[in-house]
Amino acid sequence: MALTGTEADIINCVARLRLVTKDQIRRQVGFSLEYIGFLCRDLIRRGYLGFSEGHYFLAKDGIKTLLAEETPKIDRKLIKEVAEEVARQISGELKRTVRGIKIPVSVREIIKETGFETPPGERIKIKTDFDLPVEDESLALESNIDKIGTRVEKEKSDDMDKTVRLFKEMHKPGGNGLASDRTGGHGLPSVRQSHRQSHKKGRKR
Amino acid sequence: MTKTKDGKPEGNGLPSDRQSHKREIEGLKGKIQKGKGVDIGTMFVKCAYKEGDEIVFKSQRNAFFDVEHTDFTKKILDNSKVKYIIKEDNLYVVGDEALQFANMFNKDTRRPLSKGVISPTEKEALPMIELLIKSVVGEPAYKPEGNGLPSDRQSHKGEIVYFSVPGEPLDADFNVLYHIKMVEGFLKTLGYTPKPINEGHAIILSELAGEDFTGMGLSFGGGMVNVCLSFMSVPIFKFSVAKSGDWIDQQVAMAVDETASRVSAIKESSLDLSKEGDLSKIESALSIYYNHLIEYVIENIKQEFAKARRLPRIANPISIILSGGTSLPKGFSGRFKQILDRLKLPIPVGSVRMACQPLRSVAKGALIAASADESKK
Repeated sequence: MALTGTEADIINCVARLRLVTKDQIRRQVGFSLEYIGFLCRDLIRRGYLGFSEGHYFLAKDGIKTLLAEETPKIDRKLIKEVAEEVARQISGELKRTVRGIKIPVSVREIIKETGFETPPGERIKIKTDFDLPVEDESLALESNIDKIGTRVEKEKSDDMDKTVRLFKEMHKPGGNGLASDRTGGHGLPSVRQSHRQSHKKGRKR
Repeated sequence: MTKTKDGKPEGNGLPSDRQSHKREIEGLKGKIQKGKGVDIGTMFVKCAYKEGDEIVFKSQRNAFFDVEHTDFTKKILDNSKVKYIIKEDNLYVVGDEALQFANMFNKDTRRPLSKGVISPTEKEALPMIELLIKSVVGEPAYKPEGNGLPSDRQSHKGEIVYFSVPGEPLDADFNVLYHIKMVEGFLKTLGYTPKPINEGHAIILSELAGEDFTGMGLSFGGGMVNVCLSFMSVPIFKFSVAKSGDWIDQQVAMAVDETASRVSAIKESSLDLSKEGDLSKIESALSIYYNHLIEYVIENIKQEFAKARRLPRIANPISIILSGGTSLPKGFSGRFKQILDRLKLPIPVGSVRMACQPLRSVAKGALIAASADESKK
């Protein structure tokens, strides 16, 4: 008997997730838990799915359906994705263990492969505020840049001082501009108001 | 060219006339305010400082081109006021003229920076970028007390300089730490107290004071696009993508069989993205890749929004500021708006506008941060 659309969706879902609970299928496919349970029981009876310890998995006929070219509604792209994922996992394993020797693999690669990130609490923090003495390698160069000079442009600073003041106020420890202080209104009304007004004037200009 | 005892050429980069430089600085003291901002980009190095009621911007194009080194060539370059750098037996034309030379010879320029950081494949990158930085930043107008020895410089706080750095790239497997530490170390050697600032964040400081520094700054540079979303001047997320102007040039060059330098020259001189018909082959290709880049950036922004778990509640629609050399073609902001309207961000967007001075906003934002820090001292 051919598979209906929803049954094919269930097979696709089980193929994608390998071991899957009824609830997981319901979330992927839709419909009620009861209806999904009913369909799954039927698929087990017909040899498409297996069931063990609360989880469904693909049984012999289910795998055959995935591989059979003529079966309609089966997601060929998914089969390719699953096959590629398996291949990646196998190649990852091979990379890590060659002739029984374990090769360390970077965390970044593991994240790429598995999609699992280290829990935030376990993240390693590296201090980067060290001083690095750098030699002036340009001393070995001869140049006429200084003789010719650089391109110089000038613009009126207009209200840069106000911008600096506003920025400084926002970053004052315990100051009244930061997000945490925003609940009761806008910190620094005087500076900010006058600043906004001058900016608007500037734009009109 | 005179040489010192140990064979090093005198007067390279800044110290060519240290005395006159010192006199110049002495004369300007009181006028020049403490604190500088430097934009270290793939295409330009630009320094901003405040002098009286003006902001002064000094810039150098970040490109060079090797030509045959003979005394005759050197003389011609000197007479025509073309900037050059000599290292051992090699003669390099630098700055805007490097681009002209490259076009003349139908070749591409070389760059000390690639994708926003010190180029790993360019062996002359480090001395070259150091010289270019030194030529625009100069020595600190205000030096720390002491006798100027390196040991002194370490222990005393020099003039603060904020330098722009790219965000971590989302689509490239490199880290920006090496670049930051090298530039930081070099600025320290010059006697400054260097501090990094994200490029996108600098744009927000420069352009969004009227909106409490809340909004999004996008810098479309030569090697990267930098994005920063800020709330009340605090960056919420910042990142970069390693595709931008250079990528457009390369793709177009491949598509129409031209050199990237020539494509870049056309892009900078005459491209109009608002033009709909009567486009040349290069203009059509440029238009296609501009579309692709903008869409790519917006999709990445959407992804970052999806990743950000605790976004602050921003009551008003945010402004988006576009900046950088790649955003200069006419019609760029219109094209950006069009694509944004189609793709939509998960937060309401108010205005989308170009920075007042798209090539200066990063340096200016860095200067604002430096001035604020200096006045806290």
